[in-house]
Amino acid sequence: MAKTLIVGEIQKGALRESTLELVTLARKLGGDVVSLLIGSGVGGLAEDLAKKGGGKVLLADDPTLANYNLDGWERAIKKAIEAEKPELILISSTPIGWDVAGALAAALDCGIASEVIKIEPDGADLVFVRRMFNAKFDARLRVSGTPRIATVQPGANEAYTGSESGSVVKLDGVGGDARTKFVEIRVAPAGGHDLTKAEIIVSGGRGLQKPENFEAVLKPLVEALGAQMGASRPVVDAGWLPHEYQVGSSGQIVSPKLYVAVGISGAIQHLVGMKNSNFIIAINKDADAPIFEVADVGIVGDLFEIVPALAAAVKSAKGG
Amino acid sequence: MKILVCLKQVPHKDARLELAPDGKWIADANIKFEINDYDNYALEEALRIKDKDPATEVVVISIGPDRVQQSLRTALGMGADRAIQVWDDGLVGADSLAIAKSLAAVAKAEKVDLVLMGLMSDDTNFALTGPMLAALFGVPHATGIVSEKNEGGQIEVERELEGGALEVVRLPTPCLLTAQTGMNEVRYASLKGIMQAKKKPLDKKSLGDLGLSAAAVAPKVKIEKLYTPPRGKGAEILSGSKDEIAQKFLGKVKELGLL
Repeated sequence: MAKTLIVGEIQKGALRESTLELVTLARKLGGDVVSLLIGSGVGGLAEDLAKKGGGKVLLADDPTLANYNLDGWERAIKKAIEAEKPELILISSTPIGWDVAGALAAALDCGIASEVIKIEPDGADLVFVRRMFNAKFDARLRVSGTPRIATVQPGANEAYTGSESGSVVKLDGVGGDARTKFVEIRVAPAGGHDLTKAEIIVSGGRGLQKPENFEAVLKPLVEALGAQMGASRPVVDAGWLPHEYQVGSSGQIVSPKLYVAVGISGAIQHLVGMKNSNFIIAINKDADAPIFEVADVGIVGDLFEIVPALAAAVKSAKGG
Repeated sequence: MKILVCLKQVPHKDARLELAPDGKWIADANIKFEINDYDNYALEEALRIKDKDPATEVVVISIGPDRVQQSLRTALGMGADRAIQVWDDGLVGADSLAIAKSLAAVAKAEKVDLVLMGLMSDDTNFALTGPMLAALFGVPHATGIVSEKNEGGQIEVERELEGGALEVVRLPTPCLLTAQTGMNEVRYASLKGIMQAKKKPLDKKSLGDLGLSAAAVAPKVKIEKLYTPPRGKGAEILSGSKDEIAQKFLGKVKELGLL
């Protein structure tokens, strides 16, 4: 690999962890590593990225880039590509990555592998590995042409922890108008259902089939264990439970002592929210469900038979 | 206002997926298909705009073999005005960019004011077609929206970020929006709607009709291999009768000191 450009991201005033994960990936591929950091008044963070393995860091710093906007980001990334002529461009699969990467690929008419977890050298070429069909299968992709873009799943690689020497170079002419106007960041009011401090969480998924079953089937186990009830995204999307029950990247990130996943297949967005639980027990009828990969203990079978049996056993153990 | 809603037909949620013998895709000859869930929310949002302003025209489009006509008819039954199917031998094995180029050709020819589609599809999960289409159509876009409303001639949307945060942005029209799941409550086609759908126009177009050559949509991205991921050590699976399993479960909870 001759040269890789990392498109960095800033979150809450610091380098986003996923940016340092891109550093790990880029350095593993070998060759030159250059980075781009976009924002307003973020020179210090660019220095930080240079020290943390980002190599030569191009800084796109302009008041019009204070908040993410598609046009500004596309302009800055194109400038960086012109300046550095990278063969590979790495962007994190984040709400920003989703927004900008595809548009950039189309504008450059170049190939892109999105939501990649691994990039493996294969002779002179690269193989891009990613999940498909909601993590049921993996795919190996070939991407032709130069440059190529890959967006990378946050969490799929370790953040780079080495200390390196690098440099910061300011890019000119990165400011300008954007067709899309930023209005504000709105933080949804926290619901009364805080799962982040729960000791035990029992979460239900689409496998429960209908909203009434959360009351009839799941709740007895929740109550027997003295747990809090959680849910997967499809359950909340369907309106079966309010958003404050949702565990996952767009809901609550939890780490209880015990997490019981009932009828949840284990989409990546859910796993991100619960994989750091101390102990995970999964109940699913599909033995191949991805949830069993992160679970410590699995029960393969019909939840409508198993969950009541579990609830009864816990109840009688507590009563006895 | 003229709205183009892009629908992808994907394997049904409950379809039992197996790999095709060539190991490059799933065996899809005998499975049920449905409209990609994300796209349903986009369609519903378009129909809500039409509910408020009946002068709105909602055009649905799908790229795929004749089986996609069923999904297009479903969309017409829900209230869309007309449908376009794009299919061509040159689109077999198409990548996201090829699909976006085909859709952009239609968006330009139809001079639409708004393009709505899902954030990603449930089969490939690429999440690329929307932003690509916007770039090729030459309009701004916002991805992963959970609401949209008209705000003084502009469209104001909430984009879903992580951890419950929302980014509010305003876009001029024409523009493109990709929908997150759960952004609205998707309607069902009524019996009357289904009857009317049979009479609504469904045009079939080839690449030539769109002014595109097969070379222009040659894929840059190819799936070399699709496979069941190598499983790690995975979970310890509890076996036995349901009561035996329950006792083992109880044992684990006790070991954790939670009982």
